[in-house]
Amino acid sequence: MASREIGIVGLGQTKYSKKPDGTLIGYLAEAGRRALESAGMQKKDIDGLAISSFQLPPDNAVTLCDQFGLSVSWAWYFTAGGAGSLSSVLAAIQAIEAGQANAVLCIAGDLYDVNAHYKLMGNFNHALSNYAVPHGFGGPNGLFAIVTRKHMERYGTTREQLGRVCVGQRASAMLNENALLRTPMTMDDYLNARMIADPLRLYDCVLPCIGAEAVLVTALDRVPKEKRVRVLSGYERHNHPPGEIAPLEGGWALFRDRLYADAGYGPRDMQFVQSYDDYPIMVAIQLEDLGFCAKGEVGPFLARHEMAWNGSFPVNTGGGQLSCGQTGAGGGMIGLWEAVCQLRGEAGARQIPGVSRGLVAGYGMVGYGHGLGASAVILENVA
Amino acid sequence: MSAQPGYPQPYEDADNAPFLAAWRKGVLALQRCKGCSKAIYYPRPMCPHCWSADLEWFEASGKGTVVGYGVVWRPNHESFQPEVPVVLVEVQLAEGPLMLSRVVGDDREKTRSGAAVGLVAMPDAARYPLPTFRLA
Ligand SMILES: [Zn+2]
Repeated sequence: MASREIGIVGLGQTKYSKKPDGTLIGYLAEAGRRALESAGMQKKDIDGLAISSFQLPPDNAVTLCDQFGLSVSWAWYFTAGGAGSLSSVLAAIQAIEAGQANAVLCIAGDLYDVNAHYKLMGNFNHALSNYAVPHGFGGPNGLFAIVTRKHMERYGTTREQLGRVCVGQRASAMLNENALLRTPMTMDDYLNARMIADPLRLYDCVLPCIGAEAVLVTALDRVPKEKRVRVLSGYERHNHPPGEIAPLEGGWALFRDRLYADAGYGPRDMQFVQSYDDYPIMVAIQLEDLGFCAKGEVGPFLARHEMAWNGSFPVNTGGGQLSCGQTGAGGGMIGLWEAVCQLRGEAGARQIPGVSRGLVAGYGMVGYGHGLGASAVILENVA
Repeated sequence: MSAQPGYPQPYEDADNAPFLAAWRKGVLALQRCKGCSKAIYYPRPMCPHCWSADLEWFEASGKGTVVGYGVVWRPNHESFQPEVPVVLVEVQLAEGPLMLSRVVGDDREKTRSGAAVGLVAMPDAARYPLPTFRLA
């Protein structure tokens, strides 16, 4: 059944904007259509659909099939917030290996403007609504202020070190026409920005926005070699460690050995990392948990690297959510989109020369205090 | 006391009704698992440690220690805007569980990790939808 190698053969992204220019279903449709187009495949080839979106209910994957005029043998709908898009790709691969489908379109996105953000976070899940919202918790900004300060106090991590993630990503975003924040940003700009939730200032926080992304998962030999992106390995882990409010770790450390062993590569072999960047502290924690440096040592690690697309350690080479904006659940796919774009050599002015493999990590679904979901994949092109 | 602020309120349900009722009297009620003896917060339908559904409510001391904090200048809900900064804290309760809460009072910006906190007492407590602390 799994005789043919399965991976990603197409990618699609809509325009990002602060206000919607169409419906959510319209944005999801556009991202999906572009992914299909970039694969050179046709609507009739699709027999699986996976959707990641906070705002889609009462619709779901099957009602989208109705909207899109698709008859499918496999359908998947969203879990784990910003970790969920990678989960959808892993589930799609398993479905194809098991013979449940042949080609799965994975789409993620939301019409996530600032008002939609307030509305969603006010009623995100039972625990948060009942036991955090009534305290004026400040949304994720307040929660990640706690995580950030705790890392600073326990390990001596500084704002200057964390800011290097934001400044590096902004340099990449300046070469990404779809990024909403493209003006140059210096370390001084970062350090002196308006206070939001001490110790977090404006550029630590993502800008909610409108947009969607998509990838097409199928047998690699259905497309020309230059379009093929292998998924060498991928895992997810949710609610680890259980029972904590603001842990300085997530589920990645539990699967990282298998992640690298399955791929046949180690952290040093990764030529980029597309890491879930709702806040720079979470990029830092992912780098630790995924073995790029030891726990607690990410501060010095960031201090000795440049994180821009052409730096010594490229992170979120399209600017990430911190500079492009956070399209709700689409924020879990922007890193995957950028990785596939880089590995196909389609990243234009920010193309990493000679790139052949990299890591993408997902994170999300803020519960009572922190993001519960963690996921990661290692990707490689077919050179 | 002054009029109630328009804070967002918790949704009362079968799991949290005793907790919310206790706080309306200024008391912090926690669950304790009869299976493994651990104290539990937030309210659950079963023990998250051992999955026993045999839980009992007890009155906690109302004392705790700040584990971490964030100083929120941009709250999501407008009712908190006149009260900024909102000092959001992760508190380790004396009975063990961790709790997200808020430190109030004129000296709230003196909150630090490791600081001792105690529950706001009645009648001030009635202002807050959930157990809320002051620096001890
Ligand atoms: Zn128990």
